[in-house]
Amino acid sequence: MDTLANVALGLETALSFSNLFYCFAGVCVGMLTGIIPGIGPLTAIAVLFPLTFYLPPTTALIMLGGIWYGAGYGGRITAILLNIPGEPIHAVMCQDGYPLARQGRAGVALMLSALSAFIGGSVGILLLMLFGPVVADFALQFGAAEYFALMLFGMVVASTISQGSIIKALAMVTLGLMFGSVGIDIYTGVPRFTFGVAELTKSISLVALAMGIYGVAEVVASIRQEEEIGKIDMKGVGGTAARPTKQDWKRFWPSTLRGSAVGSFLGVMPGAGTLVATFMSYALEKRVSKTPQQFGKGAVEGVMAPESAAGSAEMTGFIPTLTLGIPSSPSMVLMAGALIVQGITPGPALMGQHPDLFWGVVMSFWIGNIMLIVLNIPFIGLWVRMLQIPYHFLFPAILVFICVGAFVESFSPFDVWMIAFFGVLGCIMRWAELPAAPLLLGFVLGPQMEDNFRRAMLLGSGDMMVFFQRPISCVFMILTIALVPFIIWSAVSEVRRTRDPASVAVNS
Amino acid sequence: MSDRNFRDIFTGAALSIFGFWFAWYSIANYGRGTLEKIGNGLFPAAAAILLTLFGILILSSGFVTTAAKSEFRIRVPFFVLASVVAFALIVRPFGLVPAIIACTLLSSLADLKARLVGLTVLCVVLCGLVYLIFRLGLGLLIPMINWPF
Repeated sequence: MDTLANVALGLETALSFSNLFYCFAGVCVGMLTGIIPGIGPLTAIAVLFPLTFYLPPTTALIMLGGIWYGAGYGGRITAILLNIPGEPIHAVMCQDGYPLARQGRAGVALMLSALSAFIGGSVGILLLMLFGPVVADFALQFGAAEYFALMLFGMVVASTISQGSIIKALAMVTLGLMFGSVGIDIYTGVPRFTFGVAELTKSISLVALAMGIYGVAEVVASIRQEEEIGKIDMKGVGGTAARPTKQDWKRFWPSTLRGSAVGSFLGVMPGAGTLVATFMSYALEKRVSKTPQQFGKGAVEGVMAPESAAGSAEMTGFIPTLTLGIPSSPSMVLMAGALIVQGITPGPALMGQHPDLFWGVVMSFWIGNIMLIVLNIPFIGLWVRMLQIPYHFLFPAILVFICVGAFVESFSPFDVWMIAFFGVLGCIMRWAELPAAPLLLGFVLGPQMEDNFRRAMLLGSGDMMVFFQRPISCVFMILTIALVPFIIWSAVSEVRRTRDPASVAVNS
Repeated sequence: MSDRNFRDIFTGAALSIFGFWFAWYSIANYGRGTLEKIGNGLFPAAAAILLTLFGILILSSGFVTTAAKSEFRIRVPFFVLASVVAFALIVRPFGLVPAIIACTLLSSLADLKARLVGLTVLCVVLCGLVYLIFRLGLGLLIPMINWPF
């Protein structure tokens, strides 16, 4: 009964005219920033942050939240159509979404992923409502050791799912960790690996890194592909081609629900969150699928499961932010900041002191998700039409938006230089067949991982066994160690495979 | 076809050399500390040592595997990266519009399919879009055109 009363209170708050208006504004801005490569939700949230000083706290959070999950809906459009992830979380969506688009099934991929995201989001909101306090209690038991073990597990799992060599993926995770350590050290304030460059003290910009390694390298690769393969067939994209087949629907529910489950669980963990959720759900789909060889070549499950995982993780990600005061991502940091500016400290006391805020925001998420699906499905034809713009006009436009986006993030050409640097790295990585997604994962999780490692060692008085003495952490450590034989096995079998001259002849 | 996978040998060597240097630099400059009170250099150094190991594995697998020679063409990446660099150089002193035009024109040299008329239209459209989104939409006070002299 308590829950029902809270839902009523939440609906009452969320359905007020001004809250509805800012919810709509938020999801529209979010969608736009997701679609336009180079401006992510983080930039949009940061830019609109000063505006929230003039809004009531609930409305402010409703709008910023709308940008956050609206960008998820928009970002997958560029991931599927252009192979450019608007955010790191869409890196996985590129793996199968883009091949689907190349096969002329872009409409299907967009439609199914929008529905998956909506169902994932709904599942996430339901959990946020019903089990919010319970799940928060569970996460409350987590100490530094547990976070470290969880992140380690997530990184190793993520490396095993990327295409090609596992060793190369692991190498890229560690390279990402190293890039992540650039900047001021949080414990001692010592600048690390800045080489006297002032701009580097605030660490490498995630936008510059992602846009360089993905955006620029993709543009370079696409121009080359166009020269070699010729143009993509545009005929099968629009109209009735957007209708999913019976087989697609049969695959829809199981993989969407699996994705929602993975996403809901991982979204709660600060640091793990949406990014690991998309990777893990992709890995899970590949594992349970009867046709794993289709993954990476346009499997619909590879789009639906990560999308529903992202949708649910985006929602459950608010649990630690709102109930524990631990933001799970940079965007969440800004949202928590918006509350603190208003004199409200996000934390365990929030739900009791400001029930209208918590429940109003939660209910507005549902309304926002419904708005998004309404904005999305009828306009799929419009998004698909973007593909018909010739690539020789599109790629200068992509580059311009990448540059402008990086420039406005800090109003300094430095991040544009960083894009050029990471663009060179991205091209070399493509040539060397080094995967980019694990690098991004390592880069994003690195600082938090180091923080938790150092804290765990401090609390455990320098004894490495601290990771095995606590039950939850021990489970994750054992799961990670259990993956090692699998990694060795697949690395060895890969060497065997490429050694066989017959298979090389087939590949080349 | 070559009988050694030189690409993997080169990649592995580059990664392990970078990892080794990074680990050394990290320990030498930021300190290892103790396990209880970990120094600033330990975590990056640990990651770098792992990278060195993975690099050696990639390198050694390159000696036993074979792969087709993959070519690395230079023109496309050169012009694409040059357009980014041009934007970075121009945007501060001259403003957004010249930077956008330079970026568009330079990058279009990468595949030479666009005609002059098309490019002119593209430049105008892009400048207009950027003005609408960033100046009017987001209200950022970035100069569109600047004359520094």
